[in-house]
Amino acid sequence: MAATFFGEVVKAPCRAGTEDEEEEDEGRRETPEDRDVRQQLARKREVRLLRRQTKTSLEVSLLEKYSCSKFIIAIGNNAVAFLSSFVMNSGVWEEVGCAKLWNEWCRTTDTIHLSSTEAFCVFYHLKSNPSVFGSCPRKNMQITILTCRHVTDYKTSESTGSLPSPFLKALKTQNFKDPACCPLLEQPNIVHDLPAAVLSYCQVWKIPAILYLCYTDVMKLDLITVEAFKPILSTRSLKGLVKNIPQSTELLKKLMTTNEIQSNIYT
Amino acid sequence: MASRYDRAITVFSPDGHLFQVEYAQEAVKKGSTAVGIRGANIVVLGVEKKSVAKLQDERTVRKICALDDHVCMAFAGLTADARVVINRARVECQSHKLTVEDPVTVEYITRFIATLKQKYTQSNGRRPFGISALIVGFDDDGIPRLYQTDPSGTYHAWKANAIGRSAKTVREFLEKNYTEDAIASDNEAIKLAIKALLEVVQSGGKNIELAVIRRNQALKMFSAKEVELHVTEIEKEKEEAEKKKSKKSV
Repeated sequence: MAATFFGEVVKAPCRAGTEDEEEEDEGRRETPEDRDVRQQLARKREVRLLRRQTKTSLEVSLLEKYSCSKFIIAIGNNAVAFLSSFVMNSGVWEEVGCAKLWNEWCRTTDTIHLSSTEAFCVFYHLKSNPSVFGSCPRKNMQITILTCRHVTDYKTSESTGSLPSPFLKALKTQNFKDPACCPLLEQPNIVHDLPAAVLSYCQVWKIPAILYLCYTDVMKLDLITVEAFKPILSTRSLKGLVKNIPQSTELLKKLMTTNEIQSNIYT
Repeated sequence: MASRYDRAITVFSPDGHLFQVEYAQEAVKKGSTAVGIRGANIVVLGVEKKSVAKLQDERTVRKICALDDHVCMAFAGLTADARVVINRARVECQSHKLTVEDPVTVEYITRFIATLKQKYTQSNGRRPFGISALIVGFDDDGIPRLYQTDPSGTYHAWKANAIGRSAKTVREFLEKNYTEDAIASDNEAIKLAIKALLEVVQSGGKNIELAVIRRNQALKMFSAKEVELHVTEIEKEKEEAEKKKSKKSV
């Protein structure tokens, strides 16, 4: 790729010949050291399930014995803030375990201990109603996914300046029969990454699932973005799980103030 | 389409977009909110103060800057770009005063800033300024003015406007609440600005900074205490209005 004088990005023609000639690797055998390094790397990259308090590993079979009727997953800091202040604030949620993974892009080399800045997923279940949680496909289970995306990813013929951001869009699997509380995501917009993987899995295994996607122009933790998730509180997926809304709003404000990361580039 | 025409400023895309300018407008949204209100005898600028790091000197983090004795501006977006624009504008104000022996009009200095921004959308090798500015002041004729500029180099006069993060929410609030009564007195205009900011400021009055210019007076920056006083007044009024509402419904 190269930029021309006028700044247009074009693919530069390669004068070094085609790349197919480099495929012959006779004489390149894997030495025992290479194999060792590769195995070590594979071990490090395994997804680990742990109990956070005791830091012991958690057997997947233990997780499977929990039955589950509703599974809610929040991806991204705004969705997580919504879930922790509105849903997890009402009722007592017990932490069951967490999943942690490492790959070469992670900044730490510690694969066992957790710190709050790393990517991991914590599983909670509702103490008073242990059927709300689970990790493997069961019958009669309903999955709700919450996530956020920047509004500039939203493809529309209007200009992004006129969109009422933040706004909510939904996407559901074929087996999900309830109505969504917001308009469905129109073409040609697509969902990316983990939410897409979860939704595809649910569609293939015929699990009713719905994804709520909030398009916002503030990707970091922001009160208005989190409040855009509020219409979901009235749907069947989350009904009964949320009791105290004013208290939740206070908790949310506290979360905001403790999580401000300052950057001096933008004022 | 966007990926081939968005790397340099001098290239139009086939459907007529200047993508770098539009992306610069996204950079503006990363700055904290600023609101400007033009009253009958006063102009008010309110900004959401960023919380300062512990070891940082608070006085050096300023979003409201005086360009001259009778003109001031608030910006949202890239701090460094704002510093450059403000410096150029200040020099221009003094240069104008020396050459023409008259202070600049608010419209003149706004046009100067807007022209500067437009130049950077039409030169190769440069990128646009990533800031929007709200410029307020009084002209010699005693009329209050409020202008807004954006990275593309356009400028317009407004009765009230907001820039930065969640500017849309604030602007909708202003559209509903900017009435002749609301700006009838200086105090009311100040309260309208604070109310508009409280819609989006997450931690209340202690994160709001306010500046006013009254006719024939210099720029006045409000201290934290004065802002708090107004905020408590507003909260009291809100409570009283809610009590009245509940009485009526009962």
